Amino acid sequence: MKQFVLLALSFIFSGLASAAPSADEILVASDAIRNPGRPFSVTVTLTEFQSGKQVDTSTLVSYSRTQQVGGQFASLIRFVSPARDAGKLMLKNGNDLWFYDPASKASVRISPQQRLLGQASNGDVATVNFAKDYTVKFLADEEIKDGHGKLRKARKLGLTAAAPDVTYASIEMWVDAFNSQPIMARFYAESSRLLKTAYYRHYQQQLGVDRPTETVIIDGLNPQSVTLMRFSDYRARAVPETWMQRDYLPRFQPE
Amino acid sequence: MACMSRSALHCLLLAALAQSMTMSIAQAQMLAQAGGVDPLALESAPVQKVETQSNIKMFVEGAIGTSSRRYQLGNADLRRASFDFNYSGLVGQGLRFVFSDRVDNIHPTSPGSDSTINSLREAYLTWQSDSGSDIVDIGRINLRYGPGYGYNPTDFFRDGSLRTVTTANPFALRENRLGTVVLRGQHLWTGGSLSIAYSPKLANRPSADGWSLDLGSTNNRDRGLVVLGTQLSESVSTQLLAYKEQGQSSKVGASITALVSDAAVAHAEWSHGNEPDLLRRALLLPDSKSTRNRFAGGLTYTTAGKLSLTAEYQYNGFGLDKSGFTALAANPLNQVSYFLQAQRLQDLVPRQAFLIYVTQKDVGMKNLDLTAFLRVNLVDHSRLGWVELRHHWSNFDLALQLQQNIGRITSEYGILPDRRVIQLLGTYYF
Repeated sequence: MKQFVLLALSFIFSGLASAAPSADEILVASDAIRNPGRPFSVTVTLTEFQSGKQVDTSTLVSYSRTQQVGGQFASLIRFVSPARDAGKLMLKNGNDLWFYDPASKASVRISPQQRLLGQASNGDVATVNFAKDYTVKFLADEEIKDGHGKLRKARKLGLTAAAPDVTYASIEMWVDAFNSQPIMARFYAESSRLLKTAYYRHYQQQLGVDRPTETVIIDGLNPQSVTLMRFSDYRARAVPETWMQRDYLPRFQPE
Repeated sequence: MACMSRSALHCLLLAALAQSMTMSIAQAQMLAQAGGVDPLALESAPVQKVETQSNIKMFVEGAIGTSSRRYQLGNADLRRASFDFNYSGLVGQGLRFVFSDRVDNIHPTSPGSDSTINSLREAYLTWQSDSGSDIVDIGRINLRYGPGYGYNPTDFFRDGSLRTVTTANPFALRENRLGTVVLRGQHLWTGGSLSIAYSPKLANRPSADGWSLDLGSTNNRDRGLVVLGTQLSESVSTQLLAYKEQGQSSKVGASITALVSDAAVAHAEWSHGNEPDLLRRALLLPDSKSTRNRFAGGLTYTTAGKLSLTAEYQYNGFGLDKSGFTALAANPLNQVSYFLQAQRLQDLVPRQAFLIYVTQKDVGMKNLDLTAFLRVNLVDHSRLGWVELRHHWSNFDLALQLQQNIGRITSEYGILPDRRVIQLLGTYYF
């Protein structure tokens, strides 16, 4: 009888253990909440603050898709405002990065470091599929305050870059323990220096899923520098794979 | 274990207090780091409705400055007013009309030129299939190729395309050039494209009339260009080009860009052709062709401190070498003709040259950018230095530019009338 109970208990617990999602599955689920699984466009409004004072604002539209070859998440970003930058484009297809200025008709390949000079660099903390580029492990169960100051039970994940050419060497990410919604993340350089802290908040239904519509990004080197990324107007739309290359940039036609 | 000896309620209260204190400390640290401002209490700017965005982009620019001149000409005041207009809008299913124009009023005027010059840069219809993989264009189009910063051997449609020269900055010069009237078709696939362009002869010679379409500058002979673009890998892209113009043998060209490291990008472009050298073209000497190369190659490195530095080597097999420069210096009129011809063709004056191009974002304060470059003629060792400080506001830019031409009186940059130019520019974007 005792052996039967032990067997039953071990069966139950092993069943429970296999039912609990792995760190990989949690990260994939978290990615899917931030980024729709089908091609889409989204309007991004960036508001930059220094010591609480608004110093800059810009708007861009991101057209994204997962590439069939390699599964890379690729984005074509069109700058809408300020007026000076309207019409300029940036392509990010892995490390294939291009900047296009319609005034000079010049498509310029840029390095990941060069891209960090512009506001589009903040897109990495919001619109990248981390599961593709990072190995992940479960670190701890914690209770943390989310972007609205509300306490939430979270699973803390540790992400380590799987390739040497990704933007951040490691990431700490807290996702909701019940629904895998990303709550907060810290992004580190190879030197373990904190580069950015991000809070994912203002969850709203977008393309059938509750998604964060605002990301608060606090600069790790200068915490007085804060950028708010507001995501609006999610649209499922055709984003052909042929768009994600240099030669298409001069041909891109906004709707 | 301490909790075991106390009441459960007491334990819970202590735990809650500890949790609360932990959060308060973290919050306080964040507030202290953020200068006393809670980052999570900040509000986004209102979302802009991009559906209603204009198809029009335009700006006005004004410049005042002074030029310190050689040849005992004294100083000269410089003034310029410019209006820059761009339109792109759908006119049918997959059909779009693109229009780009610029008007410059310049003082003092160049000899033989109007003070007001209109540059119709582009006016064309473009049709695109639903997938974006097939495209046909017709009209005046700015066909520009080549990743080089200061010299583009594969930019086969560059000659005669500048009606006004408002800056020495090679990047800004590209924004002012005239397009060429062409019929072009392009097919794109994943990781590559093939385009074919035909440009017919429409006029015989350039026009000095300020309001002329100036087809004689861009369409004074029949020309054709085929370009194959290929992405070899995530970090390497190439272009192969074949060009033919009326009365000349074919030319071929190639360019490559590569991501060398997380912070470095390399570029190179090359063309090869059989044609008269630059001096023969300038002095209209009897036709004698030779087969030579043009080349530009460089590296751009960006630091974490927002400094971007490009070094580029340039080679023009059709340009003059040291002995050629020495011989040319004996005849100032021929020398001027040679330099003017090189400027008209946007070709490299000497056999070899070097460019250093630097940009620094946020110099000491946000939205203040520094751009500087140095062109070095490696044959006569003359130099052109250029520095710009530019501050961006929401719709307005203010820039201060300094240009210095350095060299002997017979050199490429030493012969220029302007020794030093200082300009203040204001640009308003609508």
